[in-house]
Amino acid sequence: MIGKDGLKEILSIALSNGGDFADIFLERRRTSIVFCEDNRIERVNTGLDVGAGIRVIQGDNTAYAYTNDLSMTGLNEAARIASHAVQGENRHLTIDLRTVTSPVELIIEERPDSVAIDRKVEEVERANRTARAVDPRIKQVAVSYGDVVQNVVVANSEGSYIEDERIRTRFVVNAVAAEGSLIQTGYEAVGGHVGYELFKEKGMSPEAVALEAARRAILMLGARPAPAGRMPVVMSGEAGGTMVHEACGHGLEADHIQKQLSVYAGKVGQPVASELISVIDDATLPGKYGSYRFDDEGVPGQRKVLIKNGILQDYMYDRLTARKEGRPSTGNGRRESFHYRPIPRMTNTYIKAGQEDPEKIIRDTRRGLLVKKMGGGQVNTVNGDFVFDVSEGYLIQDGEIGPPVRGATLTGNGPETLRIVERVGKDLGFGIGTCGKDGQGVPVSDAQPTLAIRELIVGGVEVPISPNGEIRRLALKEGNRSSWDW
Amino acid sequence: MQSQLSQRAVEVVHRAQQLGAAMSEVFFINSKVLTIEVREQTVENLKLAEERGLGLRVFRDGRMGFAYSADLSPEAVEEVIQAALANSRQTTVDEGNCLPSPVASYPELDLYDPRIRQAEVESKIELAKEVERVGREYDPRIKITESAGYEDSEYQITIANSLGLNASYCGAYCGLYLVVVGQEQDDNQTGFAVQYRLRYDELEPNKVGREAAEKAVRMLGARKIGTCRVPVVLDPYVATSFLGVLAPALTAEAVQKGKSLFASRLGQSVGSEAITIIDDGTLANGIASSPFDGEGFPSSRTVLIDRGNLQTFLYNTYTAARDGVVSTGNGVRGSFKTTPEVGTTNFFIQPGSISPEKLISDISEGLYITEVMGMHTANPISGDFSVGAAGLWIKNGELTTPVRGVAIAGNLAELLQAVEGVADNLTFFGGKGSPTIRIGRMTGSGA
Repeated sequence: MIGKDGLKEILSIALSNGGDFADIFLERRRTSIVFCEDNRIERVNTGLDVGAGIRVIQGDNTAYAYTNDLSMTGLNEAARIASHAVQGENRHLTIDLRTVTSPVELIIEERPDSVAIDRKVEEVERANRTARAVDPRIKQVAVSYGDVVQNVVVANSEGSYIEDERIRTRFVVNAVAAEGSLIQTGYEAVGGHVGYELFKEKGMSPEAVALEAARRAILMLGARPAPAGRMPVVMSGEAGGTMVHEACGHGLEADHIQKQLSVYAGKVGQPVASELISVIDDATLPGKYGSYRFDDEGVPGQRKVLIKNGILQDYMYDRLTARKEGRPSTGNGRRESFHYRPIPRMTNTYIKAGQEDPEKIIRDTRRGLLVKKMGGGQVNTVNGDFVFDVSEGYLIQDGEIGPPVRGATLTGNGPETLRIVERVGKDLGFGIGTCGKDGQGVPVSDAQPTLAIRELIVGGVEVPISPNGEIRRLALKEGNRSSWDW
Repeated sequence: MQSQLSQRAVEVVHRAQQLGAAMSEVFFINSKVLTIEVREQTVENLKLAEERGLGLRVFRDGRMGFAYSADLSPEAVEEVIQAALANSRQTTVDEGNCLPSPVASYPELDLYDPRIRQAEVESKIELAKEVERVGREYDPRIKITESAGYEDSEYQITIANSLGLNASYCGAYCGLYLVVVGQEQDDNQTGFAVQYRLRYDELEPNKVGREAAEKAVRMLGARKIGTCRVPVVLDPYVATSFLGVLAPALTAEAVQKGKSLFASRLGQSVGSEAITIIDDGTLANGIASSPFDGEGFPSSRTVLIDRGNLQTFLYNTYTAARDGVVSTGNGVRGSFKTTPEVGTTNFFIQPGSISPEKLISDISEGLYITEVMGMHTANPISGDFSVGAAGLWIKNGELTTPVRGVAIAGNLAELLQAVEGVADNLTFFGGKGSPTIRIGRMTGSGA
């Protein structure tokens, strides 16, 4: 890619009509996917995307231009376009670019781009066979392998310069089970900021992922429709963290706060959850799907305590929202790709584990719903109402795990729900997903310990309208099988 | 420019053939986008961008390989050709793998309004500001602008394949949107409106601004209602959301893989006589109109469900070959990074002949649904859905007070059968659209 001298010139052009800040984000992204459905390897796709985004900030206003012409001419032109959107004086800044380092170490053992494509095809075929062998009622299986190697350079007019490489690998199995006219689906997804060693981790081999997806689809065939109404809910530690992502994560993003679009605005220092609850967003966790050394503005990834023992501590900031308050960014400035300006986003968000034995929490629950796996969710941060689906759920009857239920959606209000968390387990299980906000999808993970919540509404009666934050689990929908949407 | 790209496309195809492809096809796209976001009457974000890329499909021994690149240098393109050929060694042999042959002509469509390009950025900024101004001034309770903006895009597409097909076209569209929050005591309600047009002069900032504000304000003070069983009316936006869930089930791909609730229903009645569903890639003024699809096959108008009868499915070249039929021109590409998959173009419910007011005029008590939540959880394979709804209570044939907190559950197949009437106000939200739809009695579960 282009050298530091070239970048200085481009940043100077970007600020030639004035502006307080300018940065450039250069990206080179190689992806590889293998997709199998209907017992056929339908797609083996590889690709290269390259481009650069140039941003100029003046006061509260942002001008952004992108191009995939990475020649000096192309970048100068993009910088000129961005500069034209600003009205001011050229301050003739001298920019000296210094390389910033990150304390975050993320080690890749086996680069996926060094693995021959036929090995990837084999993993996919094994998963397909495994899922189909589970039960004759498994009628369709879709398996998707994907990896991405993203190289970025970020430089800005304050003089910081970073180079980074992000490598992510993921594996998703969707199974469709049918019996009579009843059709149910099950999925399982694993992935992280890891290489091919992903498959060595416990429960993450292609077979294990396939078995889990197929088991879930078959289980749901025998499930009864979920009950409706208010009831106690136990969320298992292995269920993932959709609730924390929706119930408070999105509402703690500084852009929502500053625009008065969050129920958590103006509440720092105040209790917003039960004392048992501490919420952390941590970009530095090794290998997790939302981890990184630097965010997309060149700020090192950090661990942020957002809520401590129920008291709201801080929000998640990118550079722009941090500037507005005269404080440093928390390293949460992320973008889907060079096509977008960065905005405050979550990374790996979780509720800190507590003390209790998860099994005892279930045993002490007389009746309620046990959520064993959460699906996707949505939130309206303005009022805090959220909804999420349960992809594996059971009734709890007299402290025992009872029959499975299907089709449950849970709704609640973020601050209200976090206040009525009554017990917190000592376990913690992560789920991965693509978090959507303002039309940009970024990889995230989330986790919760086993939680007992006094009550939530099952059945989706009270629902948030007009969501502005959501998370999609990686269940395959029509159309995304040949693309790599992160 | 266009002829240069066509020439380049032919060269890429030629090179792929030379390196061993039995058939090959290249897709080039060049696009420009402008987005303007305003808040409190100042430009908060302005984005101007240019992008290009190519996607290459090759077939060898009945296997398909695909690769793409945004880097169009000779070395990068050579790498794409090599990668696509290498990828084709790994996929499954399939007789359906083929490409469309050249055609004598394509539908003539007016897709490029030069005004979109010619209009000054300043006048586009003014449009975005006007949308916000109209929305904010509509009612003092409109207190927050969540987002307001203008966007446009122009693009040029070129496709060439080894059977001699070589075609290009240009298109452009523009749009306005507004999302506002209305506040009254502790109640916050969001309202939005969006409008996309192929012609710059057809944008209506007043209409968009008023609509968003009206939607937010009319929901303020919504009361919860108890469980009820009443006639349900879906406004065009909600009806379009349901239609969106139905779309994959009407593709031949879903049918061939046993993932459609319409599989084995061809020629049968799947809905009430009031319902006709059409996909039309040649629709005049349609945002998703194009002379040809993502593999160069001519776009067409396909009546999928005709007065309740399932007539056909949507096809691309591959699924058509598998069923021994002709493609409907629905090989849709999301971008140069994807292969052409079966998808919709302008996909809509055909309007009826009565006004929306008339449609509800004989309902003594009913629910007019304006927002639904959780539609993404609807199952496109089984058709089961369970959504939360909010809207307006219908009393004596008129829309009255706002209501919320109602859950509606059911099955899409049953919903289609239960359609009692379709109004004349077909409204598009991007490439999908519907008029106001009246459904028979449904159970709304209240808290």
